[in-house]
Amino acid sequence: MILAEGVEATEFSALANQYAISGVPDTVINNDAGRALGAVPEAQLLAEVRRAVEK
Amino acid sequence: MDKLLPQEIVEQVRQVFGQLQHPVAALLFASQQNCDYCAETQQLLSEVAELSPLIEMSVHDIEAEADLAAHYNVTGKAPAIILAAKDGGQITDLGIRFLGLPSGHEFGTLVQDILMISGRDSGLTAATREYLKSLEKPLHLQVFVTPT
Repeated sequence: MILAEGVEATEFSALANQYAISGVPDTVINNDAGRALGAVPEAQLLAEVRRAVEK
Repeated sequence: MDKLLPQEIVEQVRQVFGQLQHPVAALLFASQQNCDYCAETQQLLSEVAELSPLIEMSVHDIEAEADLAAHYNVTGKAPAIILAAKDGGQITDLGIRFLGLPSGHEFGTLVQDILMISGRDSGLTAATREYLKSLEKPLHLQVFVTPT
């Protein structure tokens, strides 16, 4: 199961603080096992997902 | 309350929604307690849902319907919008959520998500699909965004 959430950072500031979000978009993968800052291309996001999943 | 969407945007979105193919369920989980943007999110989503008969919106109380909220992983996260596929009364959860009011830049994301789900096609490459299908554990992506 893949859960993909768009999170409005100012409304959910506690969550944003938890992950120290300072710029957007910023994608947190599996509770910070991986990160992708910026609107990254599909291949780059996938590479980061792979890294996070293999940890 | 006044309309949130300007007439010009209404016309644009109505036109874009002409491309919708299959029904989309939009479930809103709102809260009576301490929710600054729940009323606005509900109004925005209603105005969007009015623009196509293929968008079926439902409103749920995150506390009163706690079991359903837990089922969709949105406990304590109001306002939460779940966008899902709907076929013959059956809702298929695709794991797509938006937490917060999708305004400004994020309004475009909401419209794009509806289009994607209605077309039943993520648009991802074959290689990405193959990899994601091979995952044995849940994958959680949280994309932090702001309206500007």
